Amino acid sequence: MDARRTLEDLWDSLEDSPLHRTAIAILSLLAIAVVLIIVLANARLISLGFMADNASFLFVPALTSLAATMISFTVGILGAIPMGLVRSFGPRLLKQRGLRAAVAAPVYGSVTSYVEAIRGTPALVQIFLVAQVSGILFPGNPDIPFWGGVLALTLNTLGYQSEVFRAGFQSVNQNQIEAAKAIGMRPRQTFAYVTLPQGIRLITLPLVNEWVALFKASALLGVIAVPELNWAASYLGSTRSHPIEAFIMVSAVYLAIIIPLSKAVGYWERTHRIPGLGTPEPGRGRRAGVRRPVPAH
Amino acid sequence: MITVRNLHKWFGELHVLKGVSLEVKKGEALVIIGPSGSGKSTLLRCINLLVQPDEGDVIIDGVKVNDPKIRPEWVRQQVGMVFQSFNLFTHLTALQNVMIGLTKVKRLPRPEAERIARFELDRVGLADKADAYPAQLSGGQQQRVAIARALALNPKAMLFDEPTSALDPEYIREVLDVMTKLAEEGMTMVVVTHEMGFAHNVADRVLFMAEGVVVEEGAPEEIFERPQKDRTKAFVGKILG
Repeated sequence: MDARRTLEDLWDSLEDSPLHRTAIAILSLLAIAVVLIIVLANARLISLGFMADNASFLFVPALTSLAATMISFTVGILGAIPMGLVRSFGPRLLKQRGLRAAVAAPVYGSVTSYVEAIRGTPALVQIFLVAQVSGILFPGNPDIPFWGGVLALTLNTLGYQSEVFRAGFQSVNQNQIEAAKAIGMRPRQTFAYVTLPQGIRLITLPLVNEWVALFKASALLGVIAVPELNWAASYLGSTRSHPIEAFIMVSAVYLAIIIPLSKAVGYWERTHRIPGLGTPEPGRGRRAGVRRPVPAH
Repeated sequence: MITVRNLHKWFGELHVLKGVSLEVKKGEALVIIGPSGSGKSTLLRCINLLVQPDEGDVIIDGVKVNDPKIRPEWVRQQVGMVFQSFNLFTHLTALQNVMIGLTKVKRLPRPEAERIARFELDRVGLADKADAYPAQLSGGQQQRVAIARALALNPKAMLFDEPTSALDPEYIREVLDVMTKLAEEGMTMVVVTHEMGFAHNVADRVLFMAEGVVVEEGAPEEIFERPQKDRTKAFVGKILG
């Protein structure tokens, strides 16, 4: 009986502490990875010595992947905010007559076509296309693979991020906009002080999702000779004939970057949540109904 | 203070306001009653130009405000509005809700804005809730913050659009008390409400609207005890039971 209660208390404290839950998830993942690697090494499928000797080779490629992702993502945000605005408020302007609609129609049309084109074609195809064009425009420039790759990733993430921002802006309740108007805010102030701050809070997690997707998409840049992580794995695999080890190591690097980052943002989002804004935390109170009553002493 | 002349509004085919006229003097409290769909809310929204009138004049303090030369933002700073569903900014605390109009619209320095905001929160009895978010407040408290937010801009008049309709019964009193105090202090007010007790005790005049026209207008006793028109009699009879 006492053992069961201790276990239940432990479970409750886990459920109440996002930090503990995250730590346990990461430790379990590490344990599984270690067991897997030991089993593979014992079966002589992989060589631990090779992995130890070549781990440092991945450092610069990891930085390259990170840099390409970070630059594209940041530029993407700056472009996606106005594009998301056009996507969310364009249709309303189109319904009006006269000059406004005449300006809005081509802008809304081109942004929408852009989003559909990006979302409707493979990232790999977009990367090849940008690489070909930039190779013709700047022949022989040694920086071109990297910056062409960054450009391709930026164009790609713009399409997705602008849809994330559109969703965020559209989820802001109309009564908030009306209240802003009623205290005399101009449309620009309403956007800056109400729509944007509320919208951003609603889309924090989808934005992290997009960052993760973009970071993984940066693995495609290897095909246009950008020395990023995936390229480094292929290089190690083919020149030193240890492909399995190389790709296991690279997988570990991706996980080591993505999991802490998404967990950290998730943790920040939970602890900085404003009551009443956004969706309530999933899973909370799931067990509340069956939690045993506090015994009276 | 507020004059409305022959106001018309169409929503598509729907003729919502069919030539409404009214006059509110400085310091007067006008209560508008009427069945739902009679155009009361639309009329209120036309006064601060949240809805653009199609025909007629809205004159506030001698200025015709539904004029292309007048910025609607300027008009809305002159006339405070309180909504049925409070509409507090969900991402801001009570204090920030009251301050934001002062810092961003009136461009006051933060210390002065905060001083005014704390004063207004105190006036509606919520000085101790300054740091609470709207979701942490009861409906009655939220509505009082909303009143403080409108008052902070020092408006010439206040519009109330069914301010207690969304409230649980136990919170209606505290909001009406704040409104009564405001009326006693001489605030010019236009109130759309179903609270007949408030209309009876606080209003200087009551105006009965139905189907987009003003049916009858007069002192509360006249409208509630000696209504002249049949439609008013029927409505008042139904409401007072």
